[in-house]
Amino acid sequence: MSDAYLIGAGQSSYGAFPSESYRSLFRTAFEVAVESVPNGIDADEIDEAVIGNLGVGGRQLGLSGPAVTEHVGLDGVPTTRVENACAASGFAVRQAVQAVKSGMADVVLAGGFEIMSDMSSDATKYWLGVSGETEWERLSGTTFSGVYAQMASVHMERYGTTREQLSRVAVKNHANGAKNPHAQLGFECSLEDAQSAPVVADPLNLYHCCPTSDGAACALIVSEDVVDDYTDDPIRVAGVGAGSDNVGLFQRDTYTGVPASQRAAESAYEMADVSPNDLDFAEVHDCFAIAELLAYEDLGFCEKGEAGQLIESGATELDGDLPVNTSGGLKSKGHPIGATGAGQVVEAYKQLTGNAGERQVENPARGLTHNVGGSGGASVIHVFEKESEVNA
Amino acid sequence: MSAITGVGAYAPRFRISSEAFEEAWGQFHAAGITQKAVPSADEDALTMGYEAATRALEAAETDPTEIDWLGFASSRPPEAEEDPTARLGAMLALSESATRQVFTGSTRAGTRALWAGLDALEAELTTALVVAADAPKGDPDDGIDHAAGAGSAAFVVERDGPAEITDRAEYSAPYPGTRFRNTGEDETRGLGVTQYDRQAFSETIGGAVSGLEVEPNPEAAAIQAPDGKLPYRAAGAAGVDSDDIQAAAMVHDLGDLGAASVSVSLASALADGYESILAVSHGSGAGADALVVEADSEVPAETALEGDETLSYAEYLRQRGIVTTGPPSGGGAYVSVPSWKRSLPQRYRLEAGRCSECGALSFPSEGACGDCGSLVEYEPAALSGEGTVEAVTTISQGGAPPEFADQQARSGDYAAAIVALESARGDDAVSIAAIGTDVAPEEFAVGDRVETTIRRIYTQEGVTRYGFKIRPR
Repeated sequence: MSDAYLIGAGQSSYGAFPSESYRSLFRTAFEVAVESVPNGIDADEIDEAVIGNLGVGGRQLGLSGPAVTEHVGLDGVPTTRVENACAASGFAVRQAVQAVKSGMADVVLAGGFEIMSDMSSDATKYWLGVSGETEWERLSGTTFSGVYAQMASVHMERYGTTREQLSRVAVKNHANGAKNPHAQLGFECSLEDAQSAPVVADPLNLYHCCPTSDGAACALIVSEDVVDDYTDDPIRVAGVGAGSDNVGLFQRDTYTGVPASQRAAESAYEMADVSPNDLDFAEVHDCFAIAELLAYEDLGFCEKGEAGQLIESGATELDGDLPVNTSGGLKSKGHPIGATGAGQVVEAYKQLTGNAGERQVENPARGLTHNVGGSGGASVIHVFEKESEVNA
Repeated sequence: MSAITGVGAYAPRFRISSEAFEEAWGQFHAAGITQKAVPSADEDALTMGYEAATRALEAAETDPTEIDWLGFASSRPPEAEEDPTARLGAMLALSESATRQVFTGSTRAGTRALWAGLDALEAELTTALVVAADAPKGDPDDGIDHAAGAGSAAFVVERDGPAEITDRAEYSAPYPGTRFRNTGEDETRGLGVTQYDRQAFSETIGGAVSGLEVEPNPEAAAIQAPDGKLPYRAAGAAGVDSDDIQAAAMVHDLGDLGAASVSVSLASALADGYESILAVSHGSGAGADALVVEADSEVPAETALEGDETLSYAEYLRQRGIVTTGPPSGGGAYVSVPSWKRSLPQRYRLEAGRCSECGALSFPSEGACGDCGSLVEYEPAALSGEGTVEAVTTISQGGAPPEFADQQARSGDYAAAIVALESARGDDAVSIAAIGTDVAPEEFAVGDRVETTIRRIYTQEGVTRYGFKIRPR
């Protein structure tokens, strides 16, 4: 079975762009990804495309994959759209890896896009939360802020996690996002700001919630056979893990963790033959501040119940032992649902190729991306390794 | 002879004072009312009827399947056309073959329902459930709206029991224009011809009482109360004195209860232990019913008529939906009415299931067992309606799905919880998402004991969806 390699990745800026379309944003991401390939790539070398998209707003719900690949001149290339809520393009990357590993393709484009800012606030309300369990969970008056707030309520009750610790997630991610020119909310925020914002769903306030975003991201995954054509310093997809679970939180055995992420992490670490200690950075799914804390525990960055202390220790800050969300995360960089998973891979690529600018982690060898659908109905994790650093 | 064997009564928790109206309007148009009950945004005649009916059934210790006649009365049923008794019966777990009748179109509907229930018992039926629930509504600057309260009462009536209905009579005479609502209109109004209105009231009440075989000499008189003065004006016509009326009067604290006015007063008098009660309704049109109730022993009663959450006039307008714009339009996630209908056994009656493989409780019981993963059929299992909060949040402005935007605009932030509901046999529980009601959202905390009740969940495509919510136990 072939190994899979990441040879390029790029994204549009995330934000609200009234003059852009989903296709123009995708084109930007595609062009940046193609340009990022060290030895260059021709578009006609792409064998297959897998595109993540939820379809917020409904504008092109059917065949939204080919709708963007044709726009960048890839008409004719087999294209599939993946829908797994907020994990759509994380799973698109996973499918690209599978296509390469199966031997059916040598060069696969994995991408994603979403437009969320061009609707009335009424229409937006209808779309936010469409990936929650509809008949019972949504109709108990919750969107995801409510469901994650419920998780936070139990984590706080059981482990003594505090509102201040939740706010520290926002402070950290904004500090990182301020160093990312593509970030939607690229400004720093003080702990005081992050504690005094209006409440959305108690205990979560506005600073504990990611924004709604427009954006697109693309990654290029290739086989062992062709990787040398594109780069002299290969980045290997060392581990892939994924899991699923009940769509509704109330159906799950635990409210203080995301079992799908735990399963995904276990598989990814095993495949990569690494432990959390071997990671140099991680991009985790921080749609809400509590989600980043749960991820610390689910991915083994700390023991169960200790995520609050971990954020407080500074270990996950940019200069800490394990920098988390150097891009700014969903909180500051933004969360264009279908693009988010591929966008995390863009950050991993930048870090591993030394192109992360002011937020560059020093000589990283290995990084992880973690992308969750809904409140944990789906989760996918990738571990990327820079072979030259790992073997050094 | 038929008798009341169980009494239930309910009023919403919100109150607004006459002073709040005076402050807003410079005057208060409803004489004799010091405060009145206001329905919450998630309440209507159907949910208030459910609240009273469950209490009556519990008080009478009557199994819902024994009910073979259900009457529901309201001048304001939730829909102008569509029979609410099918839903009410399903909420109460009555037999599908129980006779159901709706009474509306007049504030006399409550006693009309009792009347029809008595007729049914005199025919071949055995156990009647008579429910009256109302929340009148008028133009904001009109006396009808100033008086408008909210409340409900329910009676289990059987052939024998502690409170016999010993006599009844009715009277009718044409008096158009005293209180009416034309087709398509939402506000009830009257022409306000004072002497004519009073004459309609007194003549019909006097006529009905005169029709009784025995001249009544009650300890308490439950007289129709469109405001706090009119029933006393009819004391002479009804052959009672002011103290008798005062004894059963609910209007001073709950306001005009419309079709539930006499029923709630009767329920309250029975609960207070009065042994001889005259109940006289009046409905515009006009007509009146007079019923004599003689109790020879205590009547089992469960009433919840207290309320201490005070509203300002602005909050009153919000709760009643007068100053909100209604639900937003849009698309996205959507539960069709047929899908909702399929879930009614769960939403109304908490019908759960047990995995036939491992015995685990499942709710809603469909698909693979959440415990052992077997794709099996489920054995029916009942939940007790009580449970414990496992996780909870308060949803603030901006955090609500669009289905709940209007309700949030009306009643403010609400609690959204995951609750572990216990099985009826009591040794296990199953988790489900539920909205909090009846208290401020911050009153719910992880570990709190709660019980379920039925409320309006949301309205979409014009169809109101009812289902269980939780409140502190």
